[in-house]
Amino acid sequence: MQRTILFYQLILRPLLREPVRTVLTILAIALGVAMVLAIDLAGTAAAGSFQSSVETLAGKNDLEVVTAGGVPENLVGSLEGLPYPLKIAPRIEDYAVVVETKQTLPLLGLDLVAEAGRGAGSIGLGDEADTWKYLTSKESIWLGESLGRKSGETITLLINDQTGTYTVRGIFPDLHGSAAAIVMDISAAQSALKRFGRIDRVLIQTPSYPGLEEWQQRIRTALPDGVQVRAAGAGTNENRRMLAAFRWNLRLLSYIALVVGAFLIYNTISVSVVRRRTEIGIVRALGASQSLVLAAFVGEAACLGVLGALVGMPLGRFLAGGAVQLMGATVEALYVTSRPGAIALTSTPTLLAFFLGVGVAVASAYSPAREASLVPPIEAMAHGRREYGTRVNKARDLWIALAVGLAAMAASFAPALVGKPLLGYFAILLLICASAFAMPALVDLVTGIASRLLKQVLGVEAVLASRSLSSSLRRTSVLVGALSTAIAMMTAVGIMVGSFRETVLLWMNDQLPADLYLRPAGSPAADRHPTIAVELTDKIARLPGVAAIDRLREYEISYEDMPAGLGSVELNILRSYHNADFLSGRKTNEVLTELRDSNGVLVSEPFANKHRVKAGDYITLSLGERRAAFPVVDVYYDYSSERGSVLIDRDLLLRYLPDPAVSNLAIYLAPTASVEEVRAEIENAVAGHQVLIFTNRDLRGEALRIFDRTFAITYALEAIAVLIAVMGIAGALLALVIDRRRELGLLRFLGAASGQIRKLILIEAGLIGMLANLAGVGLGFALSLILIYVINKQSFGWTIRFHWPVAMPLGALTMVYAATVLAGLYPARIAVRLNPVEVAHEE
Amino acid sequence: MRSKLGCTGVVIFFAVVTSAQYRDALPGYRYQFPRDHFNHPDFQTEWWYYTGNVKSAAGRRFGFELTFFRQVIDRRSPDTGPWDVRDLYLANLALSDLDGRTFLHAERTNRAGPGIAGANIAEDRIWNGNWEVRWQGAEQVLQATDERFALRLTMQSAKPPVIQGQNGVSQKGKSRGRASHYISLTRLDIKGAVQLAGTTFEVTGTAWMDHEFFTHQLDDYQVGWDWMSVQLQDNTELMLYHIRRKDGSIDPYSAGTFVDASGSSTHLRRDEFNLEPAGATWTSPDHAVYPIRWKISVPRLGIKLECSTLLPSQEVTSASGVLPAYWEGAIILAGTKGALSLGGVGYLEMTGYDRPMVALR
Amino acid sequence: MPILSIQGVSKDYLTDEQPVRALNNVSLEISRGEFVALVGRSGCGKSTLLSLAGAMDFPTSGTVQVNGVATASLQDDALARLRREKIGFVFQSFQLIHTLTVFENVELPLLLAGKRNARQTATERLAWVELDGFGLRYPHQLSGGQMQRVAIARALVQSPAVLLADEPTGNLDSTTGNVILGLLQRLTRQENTATIMATHNAEAAILADVLVRMRDGQITEVTRR
Repeated sequence: MQRTILFYQLILRPLLREPVRTVLTILAIALGVAMVLAIDLAGTAAAGSFQSSVETLAGKNDLEVVTAGGVPENLVGSLEGLPYPLKIAPRIEDYAVVVETKQTLPLLGLDLVAEAGRGAGSIGLGDEADTWKYLTSKESIWLGESLGRKSGETITLLINDQTGTYTVRGIFPDLHGSAAAIVMDISAAQSALKRFGRIDRVLIQTPSYPGLEEWQQRIRTALPDGVQVRAAGAGTNENRRMLAAFRWNLRLLSYIALVVGAFLIYNTISVSVVRRRTEIGIVRALGASQSLVLAAFVGEAACLGVLGALVGMPLGRFLAGGAVQLMGATVEALYVTSRPGAIALTSTPTLLAFFLGVGVAVASAYSPAREASLVPPIEAMAHGRREYGTRVNKARDLWIALAVGLAAMAASFAPALVGKPLLGYFAILLLICASAFAMPALVDLVTGIASRLLKQVLGVEAVLASRSLSSSLRRTSVLVGALSTAIAMMTAVGIMVGSFRETVLLWMNDQLPADLYLRPAGSPAADRHPTIAVELTDKIARLPGVAAIDRLREYEISYEDMPAGLGSVELNILRSYHNADFLSGRKTNEVLTELRDSNGVLVSEPFANKHRVKAGDYITLSLGERRAAFPVVDVYYDYSSERGSVLIDRDLLLRYLPDPAVSNLAIYLAPTASVEEVRAEIENAVAGHQVLIFTNRDLRGEALRIFDRTFAITYALEAIAVLIAVMGIAGALLALVIDRRRELGLLRFLGAASGQIRKLILIEAGLIGMLANLAGVGLGFALSLILIYVINKQSFGWTIRFHWPVAMPLGALTMVYAATVLAGLYPARIAVRLNPVEVAHEE
Repeated sequence: MRSKLGCTGVVIFFAVVTSAQYRDALPGYRYQFPRDHFNHPDFQTEWWYYTGNVKSAAGRRFGFELTFFRQVIDRRSPDTGPWDVRDLYLANLALSDLDGRTFLHAERTNRAGPGIAGANIAEDRIWNGNWEVRWQGAEQVLQATDERFALRLTMQSAKPPVIQGQNGVSQKGKSRGRASHYISLTRLDIKGAVQLAGTTFEVTGTAWMDHEFFTHQLDDYQVGWDWMSVQLQDNTELMLYHIRRKDGSIDPYSAGTFVDASGSSTHLRRDEFNLEPAGATWTSPDHAVYPIRWKISVPRLGIKLECSTLLPSQEVTSASGVLPAYWEGAIILAGTKGALSLGGVGYLEMTGYDRPMVALR
Repeated sequence: MPILSIQGVSKDYLTDEQPVRALNNVSLEISRGEFVALVGRSGCGKSTLLSLAGAMDFPTSGTVQVNGVATASLQDDALARLRREKIGFVFQSFQLIHTLTVFENVELPLLLAGKRNARQTATERLAWVELDGFGLRYPHQLSGGQMQRVAIARALVQSPAVLLADEPTGNLDSTTGNVILGLLQRLTRQENTATIMATHNAEAAILADVLVRMRDGQITEVTRR
């Protein structure tokens, strides 16, 4: 009881007396917690959902039969004939675009006859009578109810390069909140997709006895070499695994917000302790133990932490909605078709975020709370106040900073641990620590210079401001540390993304040599490759203005239980037009000649890194029903997809997968032909097919647009970290104003106008902003090196060439600076309103 | 004439099918074996029907049923891929564990697809997934796997095929073409194995096969039928059916066949035999009341039999719920032929008891 | 004409929602060159009177005129200008800014007023208070008396017409206090300022040209010598 009263009097009442500052601190934690939770939830929603509608429609399945390029359909007969009680469900999986809404939806071709025979209810295809009646019509489709269509409506779908009108024959419920799919009979799907002879998957339900592995074994013996039987949903797990690094990195970025929050809690509690030294002394003199005082201040932080976390959780749930969109876009562009699922506010991430928030608050409060517990009772009697932070030992801290910085450097050279750049992140943490230790010296140095320089420009207020900052060195250092950490991360990510963008631009120069590109209008993604009819490509090849075309075909494959892309190109065309960049540094022509002669493959850099493959190795691929080993001729730089790709000659691939349809067409013009004329000719030739024609420049623009969309989430994360820091600065300046009301009042006595008081506070805010920008850019540069050369490389396997982006960081820094100064406005207003007469009465 | 129930149900919904392009079953059809054991795509509907009674060495008795149906859906588009549905293949599988007093059945529906179902002389087999009958010379090997049980039976016909009806057609109604081509193997000697609940029973016994194909058969006023196959101890067989009409009367086109020990057959007209319920009934969970004791007499042959079943609950219901339920099960027979007392086994099929059958047209 | 004219001034404060009358119908006129001692018990209204005289606070009723201008009529900028040009303050606890040097402390009002040559003026003022050569020190390097002298130098740096001192010797020992009083008296003469000093110091009452006694918010006695 007595403790509760003490806690109330010593801790809660002061907090309540300064509602604005308390609210700001709580909000800072809330935002950090919200960010962590939002990223976690959104990650689960974005990653947990690929093919979920596809999976749920299939019901429970145990095994699946798959192979690159599709399972030969006659295997379905063989599987059905096996003398085992298996449920066999063949399916075609692709995508269709609803023309009216531009929505891309999974398109499933199912054996509706067999499904309906098992009882129409099992697939949820709605009214049985209708099912039977329209089952096999090629125009019949069934839709998930969330699309809001009705039975009997017609709908126009874009599938590959053709549109067609389909009639909705039934509505099935969307299970588990997954987004809707389009269901067709398998024969209708084959016709619509013009993919005959192969299907995408065969799902198998097995009896529980004698176990999944035994069944897998038995089924494998019935399949050709190249065809794989694996646990159903293995693809989803592969995707999850593939996304793990992405999610992991994003999650760590979200923790930056908490680190910034930690600085601010530290500052808040420090301020509390300094302000209440006398009170603490009195309480101690009256018999409170050290541990009680310690507990009281840790309790204060815990209070702020709990409140912040409580506010942060609903906020996080809310932010997750936005984050899911951003993440979905990234996942789609870089990895795999993803249908953001419903955001489920599950207990684990919620509790994790909560305890992280409270934990960070308590941990960062520990040091000032301990200092409070060491206040001797005699302080109660002591006159005058000790200046906050006078005991900062700049020189010692600088040495610590140096040591920690060196440790960071060492950590950044370490290889990945368990496939993750753990030490890279550790290096980042160490660098942030080092900069925190170096901060007092920097603040001292800069404010010293500033007071001299700025006096000329801004007048005496600048002197007062910079002296005030340097006199409360510790507080200033912590504030600058918080903001500069946020700025550093922003700068680092900015530099990394900028470098990445520049690298991609350079790469595109080599990678996109053709004059025109053509692809089907059906929406592509990292794992989605709509095709163009092969007749069409022949027609284009014969057009007079066309010198050559390169028929690119892309497939989705699985290599060592990870998804990858398999692309085929026309080597002859490539050799005459292409100028690719290889890891070995060899000439394009040399590499391509070897590729042809050895019947080998090229692999992309992310593929090489993921699977530890290098030139000269052999990789074994399952293609159709066969397995074959191919020599890796070289590794090429590729920034189009993180999943990793294998490149093979078209003629060679056609021997394994004879489907001649084309995913993309690169068109080279005759020397005298004009792009516009040829484009018109092509448009003429492709009449009736839905294809998109890009000029070289369009395509680059499109690529960059996707690139920029990809990194939107990272920017959002950084922006929030900065927002937290700026809020913290506002709160801290407020505290500063209140603590310096004596001095501010005195200035009024000495004839300072209120404008001058405001100016003084704004200059302080500006100085903090400037210091933070200075430190942040320096730290950010160092961090960007780690991001580019350690974390990116180890997580994603991309070689990024360092490049100083100018516009982005400059713009961002200016904005942060402006925000910091703006953050001084409210404290400045409070400063102006202070009653100066108090000064005279103070003693 | 057998249960075409699966087909019937489907046909209700595939009413669009135009039959003009299909052949009717007409008198004078020339049968050719083994060709006519397999499919007849010119006819709209076709089925193969295997039923039998087997017994393990220890005396455990089983009845089984495996039926394959083919029903034309759409033959109009000429260039079709394997997944296009030209015919629908349905199949029923049932095991009557007569001593264990359980009845297990399963159904499936498929398209021909890439080798999923068919009835093909080139492959010498009739199949639907992993339910199949494969001809190996004079033997037929029946294999069927379900989660709960499996059959592997080798069957050898003791007698040549019987062509049911007269002049190659089994007439079911007045008008020309209201008939089927109807082939039976009336006595198939079985050796094989029944697997049930982890136990394999080596069994022997006799089976009956019906194979029927046609384009039109029943008329509107015909609502159901009672059909029975009987294999008597004296190496003779009997097949009898009643077609029941809406007004409760027995259709004059009801008929039967008697096969003597040498394999030669005698057509039995409606007025040459009696088939009457003998009181005992079984009521299904869905309240259909099936007569499960019958009195049979063929005065011309001096045959008087009473038919009963060891397992009254041999009703086949459709998992999809679309199709009408029917009763199809193993029966035992006891009676006299002239002065001799005589026993036998057989199969009984009763349709149209839960609701009127919508007939094949 | 008096430089400071207080006419019928009352001042109420709100404390815990209860109005407390700190001054009650007070009138006083002070001319340049007068050295005024304001004496009375703690809480009798001395400090309030000084705040009003320094245009740091405004009367609830009545008028306070500095140099003929009513303080209540002025906007913030004009008030700030008035304070820095006409009024100097000296406090009991010196109120030096610890982060600034002696020079900078003294210069501060000039700099706030945007004046040039502040250092020259500051050097001169420090000479007046006999602290030549202390300009580059920081306040914590000075003794109490020295600090108060710096504060006086600062108060005089703009050559104010009115110098207000609230217990200037309250934090000093009596010897040092007397030195400070002497200094104030000397500078009042030298600069012809109107100096009003709230004090408990008996010496101060003796040195003063005008002795103003207060009790319970009212002036009970004004003695001019």
